[in-house]
Amino acid sequence: MPFGTLKGFGVTLKHIFRQPITQQYPEYKRPVYPRFRGRHRLNRHENGLEKCVGCSLCAAACPSDCIRVVAAENTAEHRVSAGERYARIYEINLSRCIFCGYCELACPFDAITLGNEFELSEYSRDDLIYTKDMLLAEPIKRVPVQDSDLYDTPIPAYKSSS
Amino acid sequence: MSDLVKLTIDDREVEVAKGTGLVETAAAAGIEIPVFCYEPRLGPAVGACRMCLVEVEGMPKLQAGCTLTAQDGMVVHTASTSARAAEGQKGTLEFILVNHPLDCPVCDKGGECPLQDLTFRYGPGSTRMTFPKLTFDKPIPVSPLIALDRERCILCYRCTRFSSDVAEDEQLIARNRGAYSMIATFGDEPYRAPFSGNVIELCPVGALTSTQYRFEARPWEIQDVPTVCGLCPAGCNIRATTREGLVKRVQSRNHPEVDGGWLCDKGRFTFPHLRSDDRVREPLVRGTVGLEPVSWDAALDRAEELLRGAQGKIVTALSGSETTEIAYGLGVLLRRGLGAHSAVLDESTSAALDACRAPLSTIGAAELVVVVGDDEVVDRAPIVDLWLRKARRAGAEIVTIGARGSVPAPVGGAAEALRDLAAADSELGGRLRASDRAILVWSGSGGGGGARLAEAAHALGFEGKPGCAVFHLPARANARGVAEAWAAAADADEADPEPIGLLVVSGDEAAGDPSVRALAERASTVIAITMFHSLAVGWADLVLPATASLEREGTAMNLEGRVQRLRRAVTPPVPDELAWLSKLAERFGVALSPHAAVVFEELSGRIYGGLLLEQLGEHAGLPARRPYEAPEPTPLAHSPEANVPEDHFVGTLRLLRYTPLFSGHQVERVPELQFQRPEREVALSTVDADRRGIATGDLVSLRSNGTSVELRARVDARLVEGVARLADEHAAHLHADVEVVKA
Repeated sequence: MPFGTLKGFGVTLKHIFRQPITQQYPEYKRPVYPRFRGRHRLNRHENGLEKCVGCSLCAAACPSDCIRVVAAENTAEHRVSAGERYARIYEINLSRCIFCGYCELACPFDAITLGNEFELSEYSRDDLIYTKDMLLAEPIKRVPVQDSDLYDTPIPAYKSSS
Repeated sequence: MSDLVKLTIDDREVEVAKGTGLVETAAAAGIEIPVFCYEPRLGPAVGACRMCLVEVEGMPKLQAGCTLTAQDGMVVHTASTSARAAEGQKGTLEFILVNHPLDCPVCDKGGECPLQDLTFRYGPGSTRMTFPKLTFDKPIPVSPLIALDRERCILCYRCTRFSSDVAEDEQLIARNRGAYSMIATFGDEPYRAPFSGNVIELCPVGALTSTQYRFEARPWEIQDVPTVCGLCPAGCNIRATTREGLVKRVQSRNHPEVDGGWLCDKGRFTFPHLRSDDRVREPLVRGTVGLEPVSWDAALDRAEELLRGAQGKIVTALSGSETTEIAYGLGVLLRRGLGAHSAVLDESTSAALDACRAPLSTIGAAELVVVVGDDEVVDRAPIVDLWLRKARRAGAEIVTIGARGSVPAPVGGAAEALRDLAAADSELGGRLRASDRAILVWSGSGGGGGARLAEAAHALGFEGKPGCAVFHLPARANARGVAEAWAAAADADEADPEPIGLLVVSGDEAAGDPSVRALAERASTVIAITMFHSLAVGWADLVLPATASLEREGTAMNLEGRVQRLRRAVTPPVPDELAWLSKLAERFGVALSPHAAVVFEELSGRIYGGLLLEQLGEHAGLPARRPYEAPEPTPLAHSPEANVPEDHFVGTLRLLRYTPLFSGHQVERVPELQFQRPEREVALSTVDADRRGIATGDLVSLRSNGTSVELRARVDARLVEGVARLADEHAAHLHADVEVVKA
């Protein structure tokens, strides 16, 4: 059926003159939405103390069981967080994480939040276990983010009223 | 039936026995009355927390449900059917939470907290309280083991009630009034008592927490392993909380017949010895420069070499703290494989006690209890002390016969005292014979491992009366199970092992026993199976690492004669005893399974009449009494019966050593427990102290045979004349007769 073959070539020919929709990652990085759930960050208070108190609620909420928290007690000489208790070990196994964000929801102190970074590939599985220092540090790679005024939803009433 | 009452709770009719509390009655009807302070084990309800408010028809005000008992025709409405009760309950919770800090993410109780749970179910969703909450210093160390957070306290008085009404140590008190009321120890002294840890478990909020468990784990990260404590012969049921392969805490697991849900501090707080620094983690062989670590293959080769080299001239020193299975395994290897039938155990055991056995809880219901022996009950089997206190509170008469008894007796005179009791003309004996609820307890060394006790009970006719029982408190946790398992492993008779070619020392208690050390002097080689380096250095040719009871799978027999199951809470850092025993047994051509369950099956057929592990369950039952057989001396014991004092020189006192509860290789390795250990002091009777011009607190010197020890004196009005009583660990090398002078 020569007609069918020609029809096929016709489709090809039509697309030659169109704009490509392929994005040339990694040369071009498409901005993610502001609330895109990427790799976690641990946050600090303005005075430098860690917000995390090591309560393990994130580990309890985690459906893939990828968070490990070992707590210890703050002392006057060695104060890490604001309360009596801090996370001595805080590890997230990102090879297991499904980026559901339940840890962020469970956290009573907004200590853990999900950032926008998604470029997490490593050559070894062990390197995907993020320790507390890695999670506290600012990520080195940066991902472009869409305009938050345009795409982020306003702060919900239950958060702003109290 | 006149014993039953019928009442209506939330429109449901329920029939219960007369005298049942309303909380239990509601539970029987499937209705919850929430409580904080109510705990039947602490005695009468106090209604302190007001959480249990219910509406009772005919009563104008809301009532505290926990203080009521079920009455015939009563109509009760709980919060689920009565708006008034619901409002009252909500108000109660709001008041409780007014000063409660809500630091649940930090609090150790978070996740297993009754206040959290009940607030979630019954409480208001938010607070109206906008003022600053009351704050206190926190955490306050009530003792090195317990931290107190007064902000979290809801003043339910469970802890103070335990302290004053159960343990009767009267140390925790409520200070001040009203909102400033707070829990404290008397004079802010550390809470030093053998049962202090129970208040941690009783606290319905995170006010009293364990310093050992502080911030170690959350409830959703742990596994609880039901097992049995292996530190004293009572065999309290415990729950070992583990996280990431480590024991984090030990809690009681209520066995109403054995421990009633209480646990002593030794059982609760000694688990850190599992990760002590000087734990033996690999086999050690004596080389040119002391003990050198070797591989397991090399160690087993060396063990085989030593066992063969001794040519049957082997003596085994058993500890009595092994599981029954390990003792049986040792017996299979040494007796069947090598024909080495000689063994020593620190004390004798007696199966004759089975004729009058009963659950420990029988003591609580007794009307007359006679305790004979020179040791305090709390030092030997602490939980028995709580049962005795319970009996006394219920009106029982407790008679103690011994060096510190209400009826004074000379040291080592317990056996004689028992004979006197059993005699026809004894007044006390007559009352024992007449009573349906009489108990005899032997707390001390000697006595043929309970044989004397069994004879006395037989003479007093205890067998036919289920409320009458005898309890012998042995020094070692599983002495009887070990002795019976060793005896069951083979049939042959003991041959003379002299001169001793090899001494096999099984366990830490045996390794620390001076008489076993003396035996080792006569042996040409020594194999020590021990957990700690310090017990192995200097005398062993081969050291094989041992495991602790929390790391063992197996069974143990407690002082009642109850077979209970131990479960492995954590994997030990070394292969367990049965693993390498079975490998060694293979080399000597005898079959031994490395699995405790299989070994139990084999030995159960021989000594427990085919009892199955499944039959033991979580809460093992006590087998029925066995017909009385006159006890015969067990061949295993090497310890002398408590020797009767001979005439001593004028001016000397007889040394009465005792082993305190907080002593031993496990306790020594737990820094937090050190404050519980006995003071360096010697107790003297009033007469002896006066004669020497010694007062409490004076520094005295104890001398005998060229050695001397200096300690503080304490005048003990209860002590009999002519005795100096001090802890084993302070007695050092003193001989039986000591001269006491003011230093």
